[in-house]
Amino acid sequence: MSKFENAVEVLKNNLADAIIEFRVPKPRKAYILLKPERHRDAISLLLKHVEDTELSTITGTDLGNEIELNYHMACGGTVTLKNRVSREKPVVRTITDILPGANLYEREVFDLLGVIFDGHPNLKRLMLPDNWPKGQYPLRRDWEPHANQESGSNSEETSQTESAGEVDDAGSIINVVMGPQHPVLHEPERFTFKVDGERVVDAEMHLGYVHRGIEKAAERMMFFQDVFLVERICGICNAAHTTCFCQAVEDIGNVETPPRALYLRTIIHELNRVHSHLLLLGVAGHLLGFEALFQHVWRDREPIMNIVERITGNRLMSGFNTIGGVRRDIAPSIVEKARKNVEEVTKRAEFYKTVFEEDLTLRLRTEGVGVLSKSDALKFCVEGPVARGSGIAVDVRKDDPYAAYGEIPFNVICYKECDTWARLMVRAEEVLESLDIIDYALSHIPGGRLRVRVQRKIPEGEAVSRVEAPRGELIHYVKSDGTAYPYRVKVRSPTLANLVAFPEIIRGAYIADIPAVIGSLDPCFSCTDRMVFLDTQNGQRWHWSLDEINNSKNRNGLI
Amino acid sequence: MAFDLIFIVRTLVFPGFLFLLVLVLFFDWFERKVAARFQNRMGPSYTGPLGILQPIADYIKLFSKEDITPKQTNKLLFVAAPILAFSLFVFALFYIPIDGSNVVLNSSFEGDLILVLLLVSLANFGIFLSGWASLNPYSGIGATRVLTQFLGYDIPLIILAIGPAFLAKSLSIVNITASQTLPFALLIPWSCVLFVIALQAELEKDPFDIPHAETEIVGGYETEYSGRKLAFIKLSEDFQFLIGAALVTELFLGGSYGPVLFGMPELWHIFWFMVKTIGVVFVLEYVGNVSARLRIDQVVHGNWKLLIPLSILSLALTVIVEPLLRSVIG
Repeated sequence: MSKFENAVEVLKNNLADAIIEFRVPKPRKAYILLKPERHRDAISLLLKHVEDTELSTITGTDLGNEIELNYHMACGGTVTLKNRVSREKPVVRTITDILPGANLYEREVFDLLGVIFDGHPNLKRLMLPDNWPKGQYPLRRDWEPHANQESGSNSEETSQTESAGEVDDAGSIINVVMGPQHPVLHEPERFTFKVDGERVVDAEMHLGYVHRGIEKAAERMMFFQDVFLVERICGICNAAHTTCFCQAVEDIGNVETPPRALYLRTIIHELNRVHSHLLLLGVAGHLLGFEALFQHVWRDREPIMNIVERITGNRLMSGFNTIGGVRRDIAPSIVEKARKNVEEVTKRAEFYKTVFEEDLTLRLRTEGVGVLSKSDALKFCVEGPVARGSGIAVDVRKDDPYAAYGEIPFNVICYKECDTWARLMVRAEEVLESLDIIDYALSHIPGGRLRVRVQRKIPEGEAVSRVEAPRGELIHYVKSDGTAYPYRVKVRSPTLANLVAFPEIIRGAYIADIPAVIGSLDPCFSCTDRMVFLDTQNGQRWHWSLDEINNSKNRNGLI
Repeated sequence: MAFDLIFIVRTLVFPGFLFLLVLVLFFDWFERKVAARFQNRMGPSYTGPLGILQPIADYIKLFSKEDITPKQTNKLLFVAAPILAFSLFVFALFYIPIDGSNVVLNSSFEGDLILVLLLVSLANFGIFLSGWASLNPYSGIGATRVLTQFLGYDIPLIILAIGPAFLAKSLSIVNITASQTLPFALLIPWSCVLFVIALQAELEKDPFDIPHAETEIVGGYETEYSGRKLAFIKLSEDFQFLIGAALVTELFLGGSYGPVLFGMPELWHIFWFMVKTIGVVFVLEYVGNVSARLRIDQVVHGNWKLLIPLSILSLALTVIVEPLLRSVIG
């Protein structure tokens, strides 16, 4: 019996009294509607009886008079546990005490839908700015971005002064703020570290600097337009997002995607992974002060970009996937050139793997640094290379095969060292594995159609879709009410999952370990912040001349 | 009167201040070009032939930029520290014989090796103060890192500098250089290798560039600096780099002495000095480019547990084999 079947059996046998509705519409996808407040029992059961169960995310959906909370549990497939609360008094028990990894997801739902999680240790804003007006929950269906002009200024008390926990003996402890602008971060986020000498005592993070409101925007665009919207969640893993979204919609509409399209999707998806991993390995070199490695890895990433450009016409944004298939074919001459490039990059990737394995200074900096034990990794529900570096062999491509992965032989890379080095090595080796997949897929593309036509109106229904993005499991939840517009689109990018563990990993490390650890998590904040329309028209605006900036009185006011 | 003119020309023009400045800018360019080629980049290419004027352009730009002094800093210290560091480095360079004799003629004395090392140490305190006066967390951490690292590595560096002095039976750099009929690097290679490693740490080059690890603490001690004051800090770093490379040349590679083929020996002295120093710079850059940055605790451990015992051992070895070496040199 597979892990997924086992999970379903456990729930059926032990929780029969709590289940209102039970559906398994597709293999490895179960949707279970529970009686109110029984979600904790179900999650505890899964954690107890099914090995390596993790929480993928929590989706909140406004159903009109109720708010539905979907707890997507990853255990071989996806078991979606539904728990409904009233919209007037949305209070629900937290699950952070049984699964600390739910911390950020609950904060996100609290922030955007106003659901209060009873017993949450730190129920604060996650995505919205600190001066966001009270009582405005942008993901509720009746919220309109431009209808709340008045309330913009009556801001909530700012939580700018939030501290990373009280620390005694503040004399020798200084706050080191990294971000929103700092050389270690290539995207704007803020981390506050309490530092004693060279040691990190505590850390706190502040997300939401690149909020674009993509989930809300997706509800206002048609399904086929949303493909291009979700592509823009993240430049690097754009193919992962479009694959994931198209799969969810195809799932709802019962669309059979032609096999040739599945292979092409796989190829573009793996090309994404290769260049994302190479990018990260280079950045790791930069973060560890190994500039030569950085420059060389990035040079050798170029042949991959060239393949992407030849196949899709674009270097980065592929615009390749669409609902029902793909948009462009691949010519035999391109296949030849691509295979040549793949061969070339394979040689270089093997060399870089030995560099990471053997270079003394790299190993000194990464071995035993930022240890995330297997049990902690499960507790915090980390994903992708971070989980695989901690000895958890999760990989959506193997556990829940999609596109053409069911037919392509490959290995799941897994290291047991649990440290920064292991996380980097996972990526270095996955590059080789991905190049093999690309080579195999290129030489085994079946013939046939590229896409099937899909109607703009998608029948009523819901679907969860998972793919293994370069940074880990990416999950899209799409709900349709039978129109051409989605009722709800929920995206959880892998970075959010991996960030939960960051303060735990970094506590007690040296300042110099911060870049190494951040790098090994491979954070991509633009993927993470995506949920809300930020109305800049509301806020007060003014300008300062250089003299006014130099005026110390003004500056003190700012500080 | 004639004497005064020579004194002024030697101090200000050649081989004094102006020449040293040009030399420092040239090494700055050379260093950048080498690093760029290691990293598969072009490096400076547009300003002058092969971009050789790029450092000058950079300094002109820095000197003309707005100079901000943050309000809460200790003004006097904030302004004085970079200038102090810069002056001390220039002063130290005046005792290094570039064309065979010191910048100020006949100013060398028994013990100027110790003076140079002392001046370099004092100048590093200036750099520390510049960071400390900034009142910025990044600067503060950078400054403490400078002290932690520099003070540690100063000890093995001085111990290792005694080796050549012992062989030459003199503490004057001019005498040490003059007594190398065979470069000491060939006679006591162990000392030379360890000296270069300690120097790498003193000059804050990779894998020891911890005090200004940009991905950790942004600019380190120079975070709050801008404009002219930043230019002085950058110049100090460049001067320190030249002093370091020059010390290796003088102590281990026979300084400015080499085959004189024709013409004025002084020009050949400068030629050999340049060639040897460029070689040292290349080695320092090479090591810096094939390694990642270490962590401060690893660097401190490496110093006290590894480099200091090794440097004492190497000094002992030098003393033991000295009679043998002397018979070789004759």
